[in-house]
Amino acid sequence: MPPDGLELIRRMAGGDRDAFSAFYDAYAPLAFGLIRRILRSETEAEEVLQELFWEIWQSADAYDPKRGSPEAWVVVRARSRGIDRVRSMRRRGEMPTADPQEPGRDPAVRAEERGVIRGVLAELPPNQREVIELAYFHGLTQAEISERLRQPLGTVKTRMRLGMEKLRSLMGSLR
Amino acid sequence: MSPNHDLFGELAAAYALGSLDTDDLSRFQAHLAAGCVECERLLAGYGEALVGPADDLRRPPPSRVKRDLMARVGRRPRSAASRFWPGLRWAASVAVAAGLLASVVATYVSGRYEARLGLMAREAAALREEVGQQRLALALLQDPATQVVPLAGLEPSPRARGRMIWNEQEGGVFVTADLPPAPPEKAYELWAIVGTTPLPAGMFTVDAEGKGSLRVAPLTGAPRVDRFAVTLEPAQGVPSPTGPMYLASK
Repeated sequence: MPPDGLELIRRMAGGDRDAFSAFYDAYAPLAFGLIRRILRSETEAEEVLQELFWEIWQSADAYDPKRGSPEAWVVVRARSRGIDRVRSMRRRGEMPTADPQEPGRDPAVRAEERGVIRGVLAELPPNQREVIELAYFHGLTQAEISERLRQPLGTVKTRMRLGMEKLRSLMGSLR
Repeated sequence: MSPNHDLFGELAAAYALGSLDTDDLSRFQAHLAAGCVECERLLAGYGEALVGPADDLRRPPPSRVKRDLMARVGRRPRSAASRFWPGLRWAASVAVAAGLLASVVATYVSGRYEARLGLMAREAAALREEVGQQRLALALLQDPATQVVPLAGLEPSPRARGRMIWNEQEGGVFVTADLPPAPPEKAYELWAIVGTTPLPAGMFTVDAEGKGSLRVAPLTGAPRVDRFAVTLEPAQGVPSPTGPMYLASK
């Protein structure tokens, strides 16, 4: 039986290290795969993962179950930290462009990116999936996506809304 | 959802993705600050939607990440557990340091909320960031390895001053006062100088009173930093200093 994330967070807020260890075991794979995909580097992803879970340990008492499940709490933070790191690396000239077509630096990640689109994203129409991926994995704003795809901003906004509605609906039917 | 509110539904989807541009972001944050229950509900749903693509990418991290993390947790428990720490003298000194820091930081975050909702939302976001920085700073001060490094104003702005609360392993928090607002397209860049090599440590701006702050990540490899400095640079940041130096530590 999987651990109860809510109960683990409650215990973590009280300083329970065993609860933190169990929470890490349950949720780190979810965060690590995502961060690795955003950063396209195993080594960078390990660093960001450790910072993410340190932050989770420090801020467990700020978790509000009304705002989302433990999974959503972890994923939203993981995306945010991953994209922050990407932007920081771009500023430092360590990741020269934001071009999603540029191959990842890590050969293993690069090989995966050549693979077929899997899972829930494969359920989206291609034009919605493209917009969602540019925001989700590459941290681009709507204006940046509009410029990159040479599509009107209104079109990008509509596709993003429709794509997110579809994802929400898919997740609802899966749970 | 009313037709007028439908616009905010569209903004909510992009907000959940962190994809809103500045104007839309301000408008939506103002709307949230007004207490829209419908948008809070939408955001919770979109947050769950974000789990799907991540779920498809699940991958166990190397065991060394957890080993290092648990060692770090063992060295520095959460504050909830810190009451069990022995050593009243150390606790007292931490309390004094924390009190001093809180008083210093409070002057940076003090100010009056404006009536307009847009401004309230921006201020609320800034305050949340400040509180996060205060928590980090207080946590850092509990570590004897943490240094507090003063930075003095140089020729472009001699009255300016700054403080760097710095821990080589954990990173730090930088606060400053009396810096002139950066011109358009410019921002201040903090540098951690290792030997003679300046490493970029982050960009920041200051408010109308010249106050600003910045959370700084630990440097790769945690090298010993010899000095900190601040220069004025293009807003997107540069990999090595090009502009005038405003602040420097000794």
